[in-house]
Amino acid sequence: MSTLSIRNLAKTYFDPYAGAHVNAVHDVSLDVEQGEFVSVVGPSGCGKTTILNMVAGFIPHSGGEILLNGKPIDGPGPERGVVFQSFALFPWKTVLDNVGFGPKMRGVPKAERDKIAHEYLALAGLTHAANRYPNELSGGMQQRVGVVRALANNPAVLLMDEPFASVDAQTRMTLQEELTRIWQERRPTVIFITHDVPEAVFLANRVVVLSKGRVLDQIKVDLPRPRVWDDLIEDDTFKKLSAQVLHMVRSA
Amino acid sequence: MNFLLKSWGAYTRMTARWPGIAAIIPFIPVVLIWTLIAEAGVFPRAFFPGPGDVMRSFISLTYKGILPDYLQDSLVRLITGAAVGVALGIPLGILIGTSRWAHRACWPILLFFQAIGDIAWLPILLIWFGFGLTTMTFVIVYTVLFPVVLNTVLGVESVPRDLARAARSLGASRTRVLWEVTLPGALPNIITGLRNGLGYGWRALIAVEIIVGTSGIGFMMFDARRAGSTVEIILGMIILGLLWYIVDAWILAPLERATGQRWGLVTS
Repeated sequence: MSTLSIRNLAKTYFDPYAGAHVNAVHDVSLDVEQGEFVSVVGPSGCGKTTILNMVAGFIPHSGGEILLNGKPIDGPGPERGVVFQSFALFPWKTVLDNVGFGPKMRGVPKAERDKIAHEYLALAGLTHAANRYPNELSGGMQQRVGVVRALANNPAVLLMDEPFASVDAQTRMTLQEELTRIWQERRPTVIFITHDVPEAVFLANRVVVLSKGRVLDQIKVDLPRPRVWDDLIEDDTFKKLSAQVLHMVRSA
Repeated sequence: MNFLLKSWGAYTRMTARWPGIAAIIPFIPVVLIWTLIAEAGVFPRAFFPGPGDVMRSFISLTYKGILPDYLQDSLVRLITGAAVGVALGIPLGILIGTSRWAHRACWPILLFFQAIGDIAWLPILLIWFGFGLTTMTFVIVYTVLFPVVLNTVLGVESVPRDLARAARSLGASRTRVLWEVTLPGALPNIITGLRNGLGYGWRALIAVEIIVGTSGIGFMMFDARRAGSTVEIILGMIILGLLWYIVDAWILAPLERATGQRWGLVTS
């Protein structure tokens, strides 16, 4: 049984400006296995963020079903961690308290959740920033906090919605490398939404190409790990896979 | 030139050390001009007293215990009214800000009653409750309530949606989100509302004391008018400004700095 099973998922909403119903997601089926890293790419408006919002439970779906370990999802929940493009850190909490928020909601005592938070901050190389406030950190550091805050809650699946879209190109590459390293260490199940094709290929075991609310194709990525940009940028398999996905996205 | 630079340097060092001095210095020319006009004898002294006369009145009224008593009465009234206004206003603002249904039901009523200014309630209040504490408290609560409610609603609505979503997907219940996200997110606006509310409330209090009062700073000023004592009237005016400066600069502004500015929600 797959960890996450999406069956014939559909989303229809009423567009008051067009005065008509719009199908954002048509008929999407997708299985994600335990410990798998799946990238979902597609042009803007293809419904990728809508799918993620439905899996996260932020918006209801209009058709089909979403099963997490065999159980249908119902609203947002701690078993589905989310990393946002906007970081969504709590500005009034220190970095330590942001990361300890999930454990706090589970009722973990203060001393213990601080220990958990410190452990995850160390994983992202953020030990020195524990007592700072989010607005005192750079964008790249804020999103590192965003990632470990979600991980510290031990979610069954980690949902990442274009998390590196709003940081500069150099930082983005570093964050991508760090994410693959953390994934190798912890093996979380990840769905990673992006419109950046090389990013999707670089990170994933499997790339799902989405178009007009449908799954166009899925491509396995068997590149060896650890993955580092300096190697992969000249790697023929990486180049071929990226080109293949890019053509699909562009023709979509 | 060198001397000017040196004295300017000394001034900056002094105000950095005792910031209170920086607040007093701008008043020196004001008091100076006041003294000059009073001393020049353009107006009769009974019409236009000088700073010295007011100071003497301050000392004598303090010595007699009248001024401390009146000041205490006014402050207790303001604090009581503000506390009730805040206790009602924040929950109401959060309700209206979070529930679309409550927003639809309450917003028009809120705007309607906001338009009926605090003083406009006095005639009916005097018939209902008479010349007493109930009437005064009602007016202050009424004045404080609207800025607090409106700013709380604004604050609740300005909390980014992703923050509530993040909290929910980290395991927070809806009630928990209210406590952990909505309230702290709205806090800078709530403090602004409190700041405005207290400012309006302070003015309303003086007005009410003039009409209703049996004690308080407003009463003192109006009572002095009956006796034709300009000194006490001016003393009352100075106390109003001074007291507000203390409340705003020493309590409310530091509160704002400790919350919104510290978190980067408000730029300083």
